[in-house]
Order: sequence, then C-alpha cells, then structure tokens
Amino acid sequence: MFDVAVVSQILWTSFATSSYFVLFAVAFALVLKVNKVFNFAQAGVMTCGFYAAYVAVRLLEWSGFAGLLAGIAGALLMSFILEHFGFAVLRQRKASPMFVFIFTLIVSQFISYAIMLVFGTWPTTIFASMFWPVTLVGGIAVSAWDVPAVAATLAVLIALWVFLRFTRYGQFMLAVADNADLAELYGIQKNKVLMISMLMAGVIVAIGMFLYGSRAQVQAAAATELMLFAVASTILGGIGNIWGAAVAAIILGIVQNSSILFIPSAWQGFLLYAFLFFAIVLFPRGFRLPERANKLKRTIRAPDALVTKQEG
Amino acid sequence: MKAHWTLKSGAALVLATLLAGSAVAQQTSYKFGMAMPLTGGQATYGNDQVKAAQWAVEEINKKGGINGKPLEMIVMDTQADPQVGIQAVNRMISVDKVAVFVTAWSGVVKAVAPIANDNKVVELSVGANSPDISQLGDYVYTTFPLADVDIRAVAGYSAKEMGKKKAAVLFINNETGLGSATVYRDTFKKAGGEVVAYEAYDQKATDFTGPLLKIRAANPDIIHLQGLVAESPQVIAQARQLGITVPITSYSGIYNQKLIEQLGAAAENVIATSLAPGVEDSPLVKDYVDRWVKEVGRAPNGLPYTQYLYDTPALVAAVFTALDKKGIAPTGENFRKEMLAIKTFDLPLTGKVTFSEDHTVNKPVYLVEVKNGKWTKKAVVGQ
Repeated sequence: MFDVAVVSQILWTSFATSSYFVLFAVAFALVLKVNKVFNFAQAGVMTCGFYAAYVAVRLLEWSGFAGLLAGIAGALLMSFILEHFGFAVLRQRKASPMFVFIFTLIVSQFISYAIMLVFGTWPTTIFASMFWPVTLVGGIAVSAWDVPAVAATLAVLIALWVFLRFTRYGQFMLAVADNADLAELYGIQKNKVLMISMLMAGVIVAIGMFLYGSRAQVQAAAATELMLFAVASTILGGIGNIWGAAVAAIILGIVQNSSILFIPSAWQGFLLYAFLFFAIVLFPRGFRLPERANKLKRTIRAPDALVTKQEG
Repeated sequence: MKAHWTLKSGAALVLATLLAGSAVAQQTSYKFGMAMPLTGGQATYGNDQVKAAQWAVEEINKKGGINGKPLEMIVMDTQADPQVGIQAVNRMISVDKVAVFVTAWSGVVKAVAPIANDNKVVELSVGANSPDISQLGDYVYTTFPLADVDIRAVAGYSAKEMGKKKAAVLFINNETGLGSATVYRDTFKKAGGEVVAYEAYDQKATDFTGPLLKIRAANPDIIHLQGLVAESPQVIAQARQLGITVPITSYSGIYNQKLIEQLGAAAENVIATSLAPGVEDSPLVKDYVDRWVKEVGRAPNGLPYTQYLYDTPALVAAVFTALDKKGIAPTGENFRKEMLAIKTFDLPLTGKVTFSEDHTVNKPVYLVEVKNGKWTKKAVVGQ
C-alpha cells in the first residue's frame, strides 16, 4: 500500500474532493465571524442551491452554466429570506444566541422536509451522468471534474479575499465582525452588512453544492450531513478565522482519506471524530499560525505609542 | 362427581365455540397492519411498496374480499427508524387490534419483534434481509429471502460458474453491509475462492478512493459491493476511474435503470441480483409494470420489493379466508397456526413461497448484468 502512486493518488483525490468542503467551511465561518451566528440553516441554503440547479439542468434542460446561475439564484433567495424574515427579526427582538441557534436547526429541517415533499427522496445528481472521464498524469488518475473543481474553489477564495481586503463593504464586514455596535456608531449600516454577508455565503455554498452534486448523488437530507464537516473545520481552523477554516477543511479531508494507509477503512469516520475530540481539547481556540500571533503582538503595541505621544 | 365435571367442561366447550363462532359472525372486516417508511430518506421505496399493497387489497376486495367481508389495510409510517416503528406497531396492535402486520427494514423489523412476540401478533417482514430475522421469535416470519440467499447465490456463482478465484469485498459499515459482506466472504471461500481484500467504508463517506486503492492493490478477479442506493453508483464510477475494470457484483438495491443512465459505459459488467421474476419471466409482472407506467408515469422504485409487497395481501387474505371458513376468530395466535398449516402459498408476482420451520424462505435468485447499456438476464440460481 505504501506505493508512491497510491499515496499520490490519495493525496490528489483528497485535495480535489476537499474543494466543496472548503467552500462549505468558508461560508459557515464567514457568517459566524460577521453575523455571529452558528448558522446550521446553511444546510437549507445548500439544499435550495442544489435543487435550483437540478431543476434548471435536468428538468428545464438548460446548460450547465445556466444551471450554476440558477443554483446561485436559489441560494441567494433562500439566504435573503433567512436574513430578512429570520435573523433580522430575531435581532430586533433581542433573541438569545441559543434561541437563534435552535432557529437555524429548525429552518434546516423545515427546508429539508419541504424539499422532500416536492422532489421526493430519491437521490439525484445535477447532470444525468455522474461519470467523469479520467486522464493519467504521472500515474495519477485525474478526473475531468477534479481540475475545474479546484480552480473554481481557488477563484472563489481569491475573490472573497479581494472583496474583504480591498472593497468598502468588505472593510465594513470586518468592522461589524470586530464590534457591530461600534461600527454602527461610525455610520456603517449593520443590517445591510449582515445581509451582504449572508448573501455572499449563499453564493459560496451554491458553487460548493454545484460541484458536489455534479459528482455525487444528493437527496433532501444530504446537506445536513455535509454541514458537520464544515462545522468541524470552522472549529479546528479557529472560530472567526475564515482562512483557517479553509485550511482545516483540506487537512481534515487529507487526514481522513490517507488514514487508510495505517488503519482499516471502517475506522476512517472514527478517526475524524477522534482527531476532532483531541484537537478541541488541546486547542480550544483552534490552530493559530505563528505569523498571526506576531501580528497581534504588533497591534498590541499601538497604545504604548499613543501614551508616548500624549506624554510628549 | 366425574359426570358433573364432564358436563360442566362440555358446556364450557360449547359456550367457547359459540362465542368464537359469534366473534367470526360479528367480524365485519379483516384488518392487517402495514408499517413502512412514508417519510424520511427511505420513503422513495416505502411509498411505492405501500402503493403496490394498496392495489392488491383493492383487487382482493373487488373479487369479494374475505368471504364477502372486506380486507382492510392500516398504514403507519416508520420512517425506517426503529423508534418510530415501535410507536407505529404499538398503535396498530393496541388501537386497531390487528392480528398480523407487515413491516420492513432490518432495524425496524428487529426493534418491533419483541412487541409482536409479547402480544402474540404475527409480524411479516417483507423486504428486510438481515440474517438475524429468522431468529427473532415465534411470531416473526419473513416472506422475503434473507441476505444469505441472494448473497450466497452471487458468491457461489462468481466462484463456480464464472471461475473467479480472487474476490474483494467492499461494504458500507452498518449492520446490513457487514452481515451481507460476511456471508459473501464465507461463501466465496467455501466455494474454493480467496478473498484478497475486505474493506468497509463509513456511512457518511463522500469519497471512496482509499478503500478502492487498497482493493486495486490486492488485484482481485471480481469485486462484491454491498452499499446503499445513494452511494453505490459513485463507488462504481470511482472504481472505473481508478482503472478497476473487473466485474462488480452487488445485490438487488442497485438493480435499476438509473444506474446505467448515471454511469454509462462504466456500468458494463456490473452484476445485480433480483429475488423476483422480471418482466421477461412473467406476463403478470409485465402487466404490473405496465400499470405503473400507465397510472404513475414510471416504473416502481425497487421493482422486486414492490412485487413482494403486492403479493403480501394475497397471503394475508388466504389465511383470513381459511380462518373465516372454519369459523375461527382471527387472533394473532390463530393466524400463525393457520399460516403454518397452509405452509405454501402460490403468489401472483413472486411465485410460490413456503414457510420453513427455521423461519426462512427459499426462492430462486435471478442474476442480471449490464451488457451493451441494458440490464440483461445472466442466470437463475437455485431454481
């Protein structure tokens, strides 16, 4: 089993298949960071995104690209409804975080059952065929799905980074994430920013579900199971750290898949949760990169400089 | 004193007979229960199975029912969940007073078995195939062959008829997967073959590269896949993508047209089992499938399972008719006695079924294979 070809294949496939998990984790981490909500209703948004794409491609026979746009539209609509009629109302009524959390669980199940009533429970895919031809690259089987999936994920991550770093609303989102009340004092429209954050998460999960649903079968309840991985990655990546969640999703996927080299395959699920258990116990704030710690130290020096200036 | 005792017991016997007779005379309908998943992840199968049984009940009643009295089917949802199943069966026994109920899905069949035994109500398992079902107690019977029947057939056929020497077994890590994988491994070894890889995958797995690479490294002649309908096509697709071209056998769960649509050429050399005759084997099955297409617009999900469900009311009606003719009250105890006394039932869509003393049934196994983009009949084992 410790053949170079086998190890390389496992590493490549784990990396490629972690693409959608990265997107689910990033979306979950974004809403957690900005909106401060453990949004399990993301499963409902994912389900709406998938079935909108399914209707477009399979029932209306639109092209794959039109299907992707339909999926994004479906997820956006659900995200809007969720924020406008759900979270905004709960914020106005000063609902406790626990109440909001329970609300997200209920929404997730509600959407799952509603979709089940409309589309039934038979698992399905976005395209009629789920077989992707493969090309051998140095002995590694690379499917026609792998490269576009990795490229799409990378593009989404870069776009998100650019948005958060260089756009006005991106900066507003970070400000609201740091201190929503203070941000409001500076004239930032908090509710608008929270809505944008939800909509962005909707777009991200729609792309993730399009990738997932073009490779594996999906049924109404499938998104709930996929969410567990996103939550685990967010916790491991450090709550509030979007990029940490993305890296954790890749690492978790690789650890789980490559564990087969050392343990029986039946133990893979157990290994994931054992890994999570120890990671949470040993690193309750998630893994933090050393560079980030240094940056934090530099930020802390600011008040000293201020004091010196005042004394001068 | 003795004469007095004899007189008393004779009178008691006459009274009991009269009471029983009047109970039958007062019987306005004959009820049986149907506890199946109508919601949840397995509802796709459950709803179609219940529809098949409903059609059968309608036809029995059109032909006069049970000596002129209607046969009634009480339907309850189990969600294929043991806890929900327990609630459903408790209700059917205590409120609807059924003497017999039908259920499926191994977890549910096992969970409700103690209730059936304690209340002396017959439980008919129709579709579940865990080998343990034969040992769940006096009141639990199956009309569906248990896992060892079709899995033994496909394992034996692979080794003896197809001449395969090295098999790999890949299965989902749950009760059904593990039970059937064990049966396959033992049967294949007994038939002279060698099991070179025996790999499980997690129930929540979304990628199967690891176990498939282990199997590829073991270089088998044939692979047996024991998974669920949700992930089996993806497992086969990934196996073919990784260059595994050997035949892949599985069970009746993957025997549907959708597998071919989803996999295209990658579905070639996939072999499935069916525990009921197909359209090619019986004109009645053809009429039945035509009715589905005409009334529902499609073939039923899990055709063979629906055939068994269609046949079950006929079996129940036969027992009730016999009890009614004899004037015996339709209690669970009497139903069981009469069912075992009749022993063999000739059913329209699945053929003869004989209840064995070990609570199992034996049926021929139909092997089908994807050839040139179509499911084609390969062999019939145990005919």
